[in-house]
Amino acid sequence: MNEVTNIVVEALPQVQGYVYPNEAGLHPVWSTLIVIYPYITGLVAGAFIMASLVRVFNVKALAPVYRLSMLTALAFLLCATLPLLCHLGHPERCYEIMMTPHMTSPMAIFGFVYAWYLMAVLLLELWFDFRQDFVKWSKTTPGFQGLIYRVLTLGVTDLSEKSVRLDMKMEWILSIVGIPSAFLLHGYVGFIFGSIKANPWWGNVLMPIMFILSAIVSGIALCVFNYIVLTWIRRKTVDMRCLDTMAMFLFYALLVDAVVETLDVLHRGFAAEEGFAVLQTMIREKLFYTLNIGQVLVGTLLPLLMLGLLQLLRRRVPEAARRTMIFCSGAMIMFGVLMMRWNVVMGGQFFSKSFRGVMSYKMEFAGQEGWLISVAILCLPPIILTVLVKLFLSESEHLKPSEHLPETGANS
Amino acid sequence: MKLPPQILRLVLVAMAIVGSYLIARAVLTPPTFGEYGWYRGAALNLIASREPVFAGKQACDECHSDILHNLAKDAHKTLSCEGCHGVSREHSNNPDILPVKATGSHCIRCHEANLARPVWLKQIIVKDHYGPKCTECHLPHQPTKSP
Repeated sequence: MNEVTNIVVEALPQVQGYVYPNEAGLHPVWSTLIVIYPYITGLVAGAFIMASLVRVFNVKALAPVYRLSMLTALAFLLCATLPLLCHLGHPERCYEIMMTPHMTSPMAIFGFVYAWYLMAVLLLELWFDFRQDFVKWSKTTPGFQGLIYRVLTLGVTDLSEKSVRLDMKMEWILSIVGIPSAFLLHGYVGFIFGSIKANPWWGNVLMPIMFILSAIVSGIALCVFNYIVLTWIRRKTVDMRCLDTMAMFLFYALLVDAVVETLDVLHRGFAAEEGFAVLQTMIREKLFYTLNIGQVLVGTLLPLLMLGLLQLLRRRVPEAARRTMIFCSGAMIMFGVLMMRWNVVMGGQFFSKSFRGVMSYKMEFAGQEGWLISVAILCLPPIILTVLVKLFLSESEHLKPSEHLPETGANS
Repeated sequence: MKLPPQILRLVLVAMAIVGSYLIARAVLTPPTFGEYGWYRGAALNLIASREPVFAGKQACDECHSDILHNLAKDAHKTLSCEGCHGVSREHSNNPDILPVKATGSHCIRCHEANLARPVWLKQIIVKDHYGPKCTECHLPHQPTKSP
């Protein structure tokens, strides 16, 4: 009897209500790795949009963080595909998606979107921005580091006024190309979820828009976080004008994001389609902590309150308090967006396609889908960023606006 | 028109990248790819060349024809032997290698009550159902008969 009942006892706590037989076993197929994949891509897109505020929209106050946000975008982009590689297994086959591309598969197209964004937008823009510095550093830095700079100049040492003006113009063009590319990069992730029409939690035309908006929010928050941490490590003073401007953009981006996500909830509630009852169960039970507490309260309402207060009382709040409030809001927003990714990815797998039952999930620690590997992947971009900052953001130059200010590029 | 030096260098780098991609594609795409569809044509032969692990009902019939005869008379007649007894090609080649012993868990795999199953399929709630062992009351090969 033991032998028989063991199986039943094992199967029952995993499900509640009515689920199809094939849903009781293997769920969920996508777990923590697929949660951090859109999270990392979103941070890349957001950090890039943040940088393009300087380059395209000519927000001069943000110039001190331009290079930092570009390097942040690069460091995170280099790790953006790692969660997918670990999730799918057989990383040695990763090149095949590029060798035999299938043009009707969104996953295959992502290979090209990613390559385009990395090679044609981010690296090129960074190269044009750093080119003059590469030339200067390659002449003054000895040893291996000097060799790196020499290689990065690609052998072009021309620093004439004409060529510098061309650099700026190229940067400006690349930024303009970069904004739709960043939207494409992250809109694609929303597109993948939004086009799964059999799943009421995912299949939604607002999905790409919500993904892009939350990406912008998380990217700006990451830049705020990185900027404050970097100035703290280097014992420099924070440029409060820059930080206040970042906080302002963060507030407005978060406001728009919160409004669109609320619109989504209201629309779902009003339309109350077939699967609405099970979605209510999800919000009230399965995703209570990650959605209501993590995403809405910690990730949206509290930062909105803090940042909103700062917008109203900016000058009356002492600098140290303002810095702390902005730093905390940034950290909370990044946490909240991670929770949002969790709610989207995991939420869609917690309920049965019958809409009358829910499955449960116990997070693994080790193993291919465990959270250990996800944490390891999330730790990687900051390590890469540290190396990049060490190489390309020297202490003396850090905090100074980038040498060529955008207006010349924009007006030429 | 002469290209500015940095643009020229980037064009060269871009050409090198695209060129190495095209070369890599030519070298790394399997030769039989796309022969029949979006996969390696040679994969079909590779799969066909694998050693089968199932023996099939006919192989069982060679020694166990009495059991198959009984099975054919009752509700389980459509089931394959190896569905419950496990893959048995090795056993059919060498009777000393015994197949996996079937237990009660094999029965409830189909007969545990589940709303998703068709109503004509006999279902029980194991916890409420009598008996420590299914085979005490049911003959697996002739489920409507008792031992």
